[in-house]
Amino acid sequence: MATVIKQTPDGWTIDQDGSALDWKSAEDWQPGEALRLAGDEEPNPEFSSASAIAIDFPAFNDGRGLSLAVLLRTRYQFTGELRACGDVHEDITHYMVRCGFDSMEISDERNPQTALSALFPYSALYQASVTQPEPAYRRVNRGV
Amino acid sequence: MYKYDDFDRTFVAERVAHYRAQTERYLDGKLSEDEFLQLRLRNGLYVQRLAPMLRVAVPYGTLSADQLRMLAHIARRYDRGYGHLSTRQNMQFNWPELAEVPDILEDLASVEMHAIQTSGNCIRNTTTDEFAGAAADEIVDARPYCELIRQWSTNHPEFDWLPRKFKIAVTGAQEDRAAIAVHDIGIQARHDDNGDVVFDFYVGGGLGRTPVIGPLIREGLPVAHLLTYLEAVMRVYNRYGRRDNKYKARIKILVRAMGADGFQSRVDEEWAHIKDSASTVSESEMERLIAAFAPPTFVTLVEEDNLESQRLEHPQFSHWLHHNVVPHKRKGYAIVTLSTKATGVPPGDVSDEQMDAVAGWADAYSFGELRISHEQNFVLPHVPRGKLFELWQAATEADLGTANAGLLTDMICCPGGDYCSLANAKSIPVAEAIQRRFDNYDYVHDLGNLDINISGCMNACGHHHVGHIGILGVDKKGEEFYQISLGGHSGHSSTAAALGQIIGPSFARNEVPDVIARILDVYVDNRHNEESFLHCFQRIGLDPFKERIYGNGN
Repeated sequence: MATVIKQTPDGWTIDQDGSALDWKSAEDWQPGEALRLAGDEEPNPEFSSASAIAIDFPAFNDGRGLSLAVLLRTRYQFTGELRACGDVHEDITHYMVRCGFDSMEISDERNPQTALSALFPYSALYQASVTQPEPAYRRVNRGV
Repeated sequence: MYKYDDFDRTFVAERVAHYRAQTERYLDGKLSEDEFLQLRLRNGLYVQRLAPMLRVAVPYGTLSADQLRMLAHIARRYDRGYGHLSTRQNMQFNWPELAEVPDILEDLASVEMHAIQTSGNCIRNTTTDEFAGAAADEIVDARPYCELIRQWSTNHPEFDWLPRKFKIAVTGAQEDRAAIAVHDIGIQARHDDNGDVVFDFYVGGGLGRTPVIGPLIREGLPVAHLLTYLEAVMRVYNRYGRRDNKYKARIKILVRAMGADGFQSRVDEEWAHIKDSASTVSESEMERLIAAFAPPTFVTLVEEDNLESQRLEHPQFSHWLHHNVVPHKRKGYAIVTLSTKATGVPPGDVSDEQMDAVAGWADAYSFGELRISHEQNFVLPHVPRGKLFELWQAATEADLGTANAGLLTDMICCPGGDYCSLANAKSIPVAEAIQRRFDNYDYVHDLGNLDINISGCMNACGHHHVGHIGILGVDKKGEEFYQISLGGHSGHSSTAAALGQIIGPSFARNEVPDVIARILDVYVDNRHNEESFLHCFQRIGLDPFKERIYGNGN
């Protein structure tokens, strides 16, 4: 049974009963239910009503789920829990956070504590992202 | 030159610390070989045939003298006293210890350098014209835009795990020295009718096993939209590019599958959503970057130089002036190519002493600035004409004064089977055999501009498809053979780029110099007056060459 790490008002923590949601695939899903998507799924405005969305990473070096997350957050205004699942590697989680994931399923072979400690390796980030909607040149006084 | 601010320094320091921790986890057995592979690649570390290879980023090929001294130090301290200039304007070290790489990165960070995204399936170092900011034929200095793209593409949250590697090249000159037509994205910077800088986007070009000239998909894009348009292209590629087969994963395959028009409308659709987002390039940011690349304090050089009398006295200097020195936009200055293609040295290899020497000349003659060209040579961009003779003497002494820029012996050559684990065949010995065969300066000079490009496998790091003569190493039942193509070129103002045509069955390594000799005989027999090899080939076609090499009836 995988462990879920999750962003809460008190910061990121290990969520012991996080896997209990009843995920539906896009075909079987009804508005309001928890939805599990493949990384190559086309996003749909209806999805914003999902109680939670999980995006599957078939391999940790497959970046499609990152783009899908960005679209769900920025184009379809999905504000609920967005969970990364599948091959969630602790060295990719910092990208996931910036693409709008606030929950990650960490498989049994991996250490959730390591994953928690690897979420924010950088303070200086150049681009706009889901978590920092402005690029550095609008956020920071550069050239000093 | 661009100088880091606190923000850049903080980021690079964090990147070094992050990579050091990843290396330690790997050495402690907490990361598997495969996992670490993906992480080290994003920091420029390959494991090659004999040892790891570290590729250091030289953003758009621009370096300061102090940065080059640091590279010399790294060559001495961590390597075997030399480095290799790559065809993407970076520097590679062939013998670092994996465990020492974090220390190398720390040394690099101390001079505002790094190895971030020099390999792996991510956005690589943006390349440009090695003469940017100096060339007489320049319309727009591409470097501020390259720096903008560098910062935007560095550690991008969404685009660091692409289907395949991704290479962007920008040029702002009339002659395209950056080969933009054969990049994943090629950007031509120019002025519109109002004199504002705009960009033409070519997407889906590339070499490798499926060479393609990139189609034009957007004309006249204003500067403000540069990053949002790039974002749109990258998102379409990241979502729809193939991931099932690495040989079909480059963006060129996606563009071809969708059709250039289909791809363009998909990008436009995406772009419509983000066009005026916060990633719109602000005027103040662009001003900051343009100011960072302000021209050095050129002086008005009034005194006459003695070039004419020096030329007469020293024929070798005269040859060097003819081939290795090109016009500067500023009167009294010149751009100098320091050739690494002396016979017997692997093309692009430079020793630590040579690096120190070049750094010294950059300080003495070129405002402390230098470049690495995609032809694997050093360039001193701003040399007063009156100092050329002095520089030539010093360069000759250091074996960097060969008068062959753009000539047959100035070959582009990948590291090949001597180093690279992907190669099918060696390339360095082929280059050397050709240099030895054609060691008569007068003959080589008479042939004029001639690009011979050699790749040890179809990944095409030696850009063989766009060589006037391209040589590709192939494996035939475990033996190394070489396929030769003719007529490729990377394009310039008057002609679009073209891919070479394969001449016929391949040759054993020892046959290659003779085959080249016969190709050149055909050219010399057929050329009209000053006609270049390329123009002659374009006029007479492949057949006369085929006939001379394989005989009639082949």
